[in-house]
Amino acid sequence: MNGKHELYFERYDRTTHRLGRAACLLTLVLLLGAPFAIGGYLGAMPDLGAVAKGFLAIGLVWMGSSIGEYILYTPMLGAGGSYLAFITGNLINMKIPCAMNAKELVGAKSGTKENEIIATLSIATASLVTILVLALGVALLIPLQPILQAPALQPAFDSVVPALFGAMAYQYFRGHMNMAVWPLVLMGVLFTLLPALVANTSMMVLPAGAAAFLAGYLLTKKSIKQQ
Amino acid sequence: MSVMSQLNSPVLYLICGGIILFVALVCVVFLVRAYRAGVAIGMDRTKLKRTITASATFTVLPSVGILLGVIALSGSLGTPWPWLRLSVIGALHYETSVADAAAQAVGIGHLAGAAMTSRAFTTIALLMSVCIMWGMVLAAVFTKKYTKTLRAGSEKDGKPSGIAAYGDLLMSAVFIGLISAYLGSYLGDFISHDGRFTFTGSWLPLAVAAVSALVMGVFLWLKEKKHQEWVDNFSLAGSMLAGMAAAVLFGLL
Repeated sequence: MNGKHELYFERYDRTTHRLGRAACLLTLVLLLGAPFAIGGYLGAMPDLGAVAKGFLAIGLVWMGSSIGEYILYTPMLGAGGSYLAFITGNLINMKIPCAMNAKELVGAKSGTKENEIIATLSIATASLVTILVLALGVALLIPLQPILQAPALQPAFDSVVPALFGAMAYQYFRGHMNMAVWPLVLMGVLFTLLPALVANTSMMVLPAGAAAFLAGYLLTKKSIKQQ
Repeated sequence: MSVMSQLNSPVLYLICGGIILFVALVCVVFLVRAYRAGVAIGMDRTKLKRTITASATFTVLPSVGILLGVIALSGSLGTPWPWLRLSVIGALHYETSVADAAAQAVGIGHLAGAAMTSRAFTTIALLMSVCIMWGMVLAAVFTKKYTKTLRAGSEKDGKPSGIAAYGDLLMSAVFIGLISAYLGSYLGDFISHDGRFTFTGSWLPLAVAAVSALVMGVFLWLKEKKHQEWVDNFSLAGSMLAGMAAAVLFGLL
């Protein structure tokens, strides 16, 4: 890359950070403002006490997860790709594999200027396709609303969470069984002996996560020692 | 007008659609700038076009999977809000678990359309936003410095090291903790719902979780043993829909 190209890329990089920061902040304002705008329309503003309680129960856990994702994925995505990926979401199930696929296709190396361009192109395209597919799908969903709200289907919609965790349990536990067995047993015993905790399941995510982390940490230490 | 009708009203489509449109414009700006920059620094145009085509084709199938997530959540939160959250910032596994935790925090028990009130909805919506915004906050504050450090050569061969490797363990622990807490609660509720070891609680969540896990096992078998890589795009949403369909069948028993 010659001096002219270097200069151009530096200018591009500076503007990417300015635009990325502005886009993140504006999206943040819109996302936090939307529940209040909807509350104004419905005549029912959010219960801030319940938000604080819910945040302490599960938000802190997700904050930790966000930090992990940020540290882990930014090196793969570069600046432009990171700003877009953290705005548009669906990182693990779509954006990361998509960017890695594009990187492999063109043979770009992580941390290079080429990778920066390829990752940004890839994430932007993936985000636009998702937005388009979802918009088309939602337009088709509108006529189906009466069917989706039929009483016969309510057990299905009331079972979204167990359905999700059943599928995720198979996906995650099979690769981390040594790590997963401890929090699973701990939670099973706790909820059986103290059934009142069921009403506050989300509060138990933090100790369960801590147990899994401790188990994982000890297992890693043990395997390092054995090597 | 019922709460669910209000949650599917044109005003909500307008609010959520407006935000999605803004994010789509951001993506277009980044796409055009990156393409022009690639050409300007001497990258092969064919490679740039190939990246766009490959990314678009790669994304179609997972997007349909995400759409199934919108359908799954639309029964309890209406369509516009899940549409927004799964188009912008969200992820299927995150949205469902946080919405359920938020439902508990507002006192309506678990996530269910029948119990939803206007206030519960706006509270759940705000909590979902507050919980997931941290990636975006970190990106806005630290990306400039972090990417500069990375380019300066602290990363080798694209492999995470040091704190990044620690982040990997943290992420796995968070997911495992999350799943364990919920599965443990289904088990505890079934065994001790009306007092310890009375076995009078609902077995439905356990049965639904078992069906979803089984279907996920089939998807992974197809992918790994039969080399049907395409099923990966639908495995999570497909397993969830199978579990939910099983709930309807179990309800008839």
